[in-house]
Amino acid sequence: MDNSELQPIFDFMRRLAPFDSLQEQTLKQCCKVLTIAYYSQQQKLVHVDSNDPQLYIVRSGAFEVSTQEGELIDRIGEGQYFGFSGMLSGEKVVNQVHILEDGLVYHLPAVMFDQLRANCHSFDRFFNQAFAKRLRNQGSLKHNHISTARITNIMSRELTTITRDATIHQAALLMSEKRLSSLIVVNEDKLCGILTDRDLRNRVLAKGLTGALLVEQAMTEHPTTIKPEALIFEAMLKMSEKNIHHLPVVKGNKPIAIITSTDLIRSQSSQPLLLIGQIDRQNNLESLIQVSQKIPDLLFNLISSDAKAMEIGRVLTSVTDSLTRRLIALRQEQLGPAPMTFCWLAFGSQGRQDQMAGSDQDNALILEREATKVEKDYFKQLSEYVCSALNECGFPFCPGNIMAQNPKWQLTLQQWLQAFSKWIKTPDPSALLNATIFFDMRPVFGDLSLFKQLQTTVLKNTKNNDIFIAALSQNALQSTPPLGFFRSFVLERDGSEVKGIDLKHKGNALINDIVRIYALSVGIEEVNTIKRIEALIALSAIDKDIAMNLLDSWEFIAHKRLTNQGQQFNNTQPVSNYILPDSLSSLVRHQLKDAFKVIHEAQGTVKHKFLRQF
Amino acid sequence: MLQQWWLNKKLKRLINNNKLGKPEHLQTHYQYLLTNLNQPISKTDLLALDIEMTGLNPKKDQMVSIGVIPIINGQIQPKFAQHKFIKIQGSVGQSAVIHGVLDKDLNNALTQQEALEWLFEQCQHKVLVAHHAQLDLQFLQQSLRKIGLQPLPLFAIDTLLIDKRRQFRKHQFLNTGSLRLNACRERYNLPIYNAHNALTDALACAELLLAQLNKMGGLETITLAKLLESH
Repeated sequence: MDNSELQPIFDFMRRLAPFDSLQEQTLKQCCKVLTIAYYSQQQKLVHVDSNDPQLYIVRSGAFEVSTQEGELIDRIGEGQYFGFSGMLSGEKVVNQVHILEDGLVYHLPAVMFDQLRANCHSFDRFFNQAFAKRLRNQGSLKHNHISTARITNIMSRELTTITRDATIHQAALLMSEKRLSSLIVVNEDKLCGILTDRDLRNRVLAKGLTGALLVEQAMTEHPTTIKPEALIFEAMLKMSEKNIHHLPVVKGNKPIAIITSTDLIRSQSSQPLLLIGQIDRQNNLESLIQVSQKIPDLLFNLISSDAKAMEIGRVLTSVTDSLTRRLIALRQEQLGPAPMTFCWLAFGSQGRQDQMAGSDQDNALILEREATKVEKDYFKQLSEYVCSALNECGFPFCPGNIMAQNPKWQLTLQQWLQAFSKWIKTPDPSALLNATIFFDMRPVFGDLSLFKQLQTTVLKNTKNNDIFIAALSQNALQSTPPLGFFRSFVLERDGSEVKGIDLKHKGNALINDIVRIYALSVGIEEVNTIKRIEALIALSAIDKDIAMNLLDSWEFIAHKRLTNQGQQFNNTQPVSNYILPDSLSSLVRHQLKDAFKVIHEAQGTVKHKFLRQF
Repeated sequence: MLQQWWLNKKLKRLINNNKLGKPEHLQTHYQYLLTNLNQPISKTDLLALDIEMTGLNPKKDQMVSIGVIPIINGQIQPKFAQHKFIKIQGSVGQSAVIHGVLDKDLNNALTQQEALEWLFEQCQHKVLVAHHAQLDLQFLQQSLRKIGLQPLPLFAIDTLLIDKRRQFRKHQFLNTGSLRLNACRERYNLPIYNAHNALTDALACAELLLAQLNKMGGLETITLAKLLESH
C-alpha cells in the first residue's frame, strides 16, 4: 500500500455498495478526490450548493432529507447517501437536509460521480432512479427449474394445420407424411378443433366410416388449450387432469404450436408434479397429512432454485388446489354425491395464486339454490372435513372465519349476489375493509358456471362504479409503505422508527390492493396481481411505467420475502414475513427503499385518479 | 485580545529579525500567520501534521516519518495528503512496534534536511495542526539544530490543548489517557481508526479539529489568534 493513501477512508468506502463493485484502482482514485467535512447540529442545515453538485457520503452522524414543505423523504445514517438526485436529473435541488447528529461527511465531486456512472454499469444502476432497470436484473430467473420453465421453451417452432372442410383421408396423409400424432384444425386461421390418432381410430375406423368423412365430423371441437407463457408444469397438470395427450398452444385465438405428453416427458418429470400425483393417489386423511409435510420442502427447493416469486406462488397454489380437490373427493366418497351443484371458492392468496409459507385458508361455497335441512347437513359435513383437514395439512384456519365450514359463507348464488351488491352499492369503508378479500376469488372445485355468473355480475357492477372504487381506494390508502431504513430500524413515513418490517402487509399486500382497484374499475376477470397488471396494460387502463414498476416491485419484495423465509427455514426458525433491517445488505436496503417508493407513488396516483385528491 | 496582541508582536519580531538564518519558506509561513491572525479559521488554510518517532525524547530520539493533510475552506483534502519517510542513524529498533515503520522502509527516505525543507515548503501558506503539537514541534526544532540552524519558534493549533481546555472549563477531572487522540475522537462520536501511521493520525487529527471547531461555535466565528500556540 502506497503510504500517501488513507487507509481508513479506503476501508470504509470498499464496504459500501455500490463502491464495493469498483476496481481497487478506481476506488483508490475515488478516495483521493473526495473531501471531508464535519457537520454540526448547531448549523441545522447542510448547505447543498446546486451549482456545485456532489455526492454526500455519510461517514458518521445522522441527517434527514425533507421537501421544502417539510415532508420527510428520508433519514440517513452511516454509509448512506444524499445529494445525488440533482446530479441524475440535472434539476436544481430544493430538498432540505437537516443535521440530526453531528458527523463526518465525504463529498464526492460530480465529475468523479459522472465518470463512475459512465464507466461502471453497476454503479450507474445503483444510483439511477430509473429503478426498474435495477430490479429487473435482480429477480431474473437464473436456473431453468423444471417447475418454472415455460411452454415456449419446449414447444416446436413448426405447426401443421388442416382446415375443417378437408377429408379424413387428406388428414391421414398429412399426418403420416409429417409423422404427427395430431393435427390442429383451423377455420380462417382460428383454432376450431383437434384431430388425433385416437379420433381416427375411435370415431372413423371403429365406426366403419371411410376417409371421405370430413375432418369436422371426426375432430374434437373446442379442445382444451394453453397459453404460451404458461408453465410447463401447468401443462402437465392440465393433461393429467383431463386425461389428454395433446394441448394446442394458443395466442389470442390463433394456434401457434401443439404440446404433447411426449414433449413434457422429454422435459423430465418434476417435483411439484410428483407431489400432486402423490396427493391424487392418497386414500385417507392420515396419508394426505403425511404427503403435505413435503410442501415446505418443495417450497424451499423452489426458493433455493431461485425461481421467480410469482411462479413459486403459482406452483404452491396448485398444490393447495389439488389438496383441496382431493379432500373434497375423499369426503364425497363417504357422503355420496352432492344433493345439488355447488362450487368451492378460494379467496385471498389462494385466490390470487400467490401463496407462500404460512398462508391461511380462505374459502367458501356457492350453492345452486336454497338448501333444505338435510342438504345443509351434507355441506356442513363436507366443508368441516375439508377445512379441518387443510388445517392439519399446514393451512391454518382463517382467523376471520372466512371459510366454507362457516354457514355464513355457504351461500346460494342469489345470496352471494346480494352480499356483493351490498358491498358494491352502499360501500361502507369499514365493512368493505373485511370484504376486499372476496374480490380476489377463484373456483377450485365444482360447477364453474355458478362462479362465472357470480363473477360476471360482480364485475359488471364494479366497472366504472366511481363511488365503490373511491371507497375501495380509501381503504387501500390507509396503510403506507415505509420510507426506508435508518441504521438497524425501519423508518416509517411519519418519522417513527420500528424494529422490523412485515414485507407482506407493508409490501405485496399494498400492491395487491392498488392493482385490485384498477382491475375492478375496468372489470378485469383475472385475480392474480401480475396477470391483472398485464391485463391492465393490454387495456391501457394504467400508466405503463407505473405498471411496470409495480410488477418489478411486487416481484422484488416477494422474492425478498421468500429468501427470508428460506433462511428462516434453514435456521429452523419459525417462518414469517417479518424481516429485520440488520439482515439486509446495503444494496438490498436501497432496492427495497426504491420498491417502497414505487408503492408510495402508485398510491398517490390512486388518490388522484379515484379519489380526485391531490 | 491579549493572546492576539502577543502573537502579533512575536510574529512581527520574528519576521523583521534578519539574524536568525531563517529558511525562506519559513519566513513566508510567518507572514501567512501574521496576516491571518484576525481571520476566521474558515478563511485560513490548515495543514494537519503527524510525526512518528523512535521515542518521546526530542534530544535522543529521531523522526522516522511525517504525514500531512491540508484543510482548505473547512474541508479536508485527501487529494493533497502526503507521507514521507526520514533517514535515521541506527535502527528503528523496538519503536517499530508503535509506528510500524521498518528499517527497510527507510532505504529511500529523505535526509533530515530534505524532510524539513519539504515540510516548510508545504506550510508556506498554511497553519500547522497537530495533536499534542508540542512534541512534534520540539522534534522539528531539534532537527533544525542538527542541520546547523537556530531552533526557531514554531506555531501550531493543538487539538489536545483545545480539548484539555474544554474539559477544564466543564470542570471535568481528566484521567490519564483521556486526552489521547482516539479518546478525544470518541467524545465527538468520530469513528475510531485502527490503522496507525503518520498519515492516518494526521487525518484523525484534522477530523478532530473540525469537530472541535464546530462545537466551539463554528469555523466562521473563531479566529486563528484564539487557537494558535507558540513553541
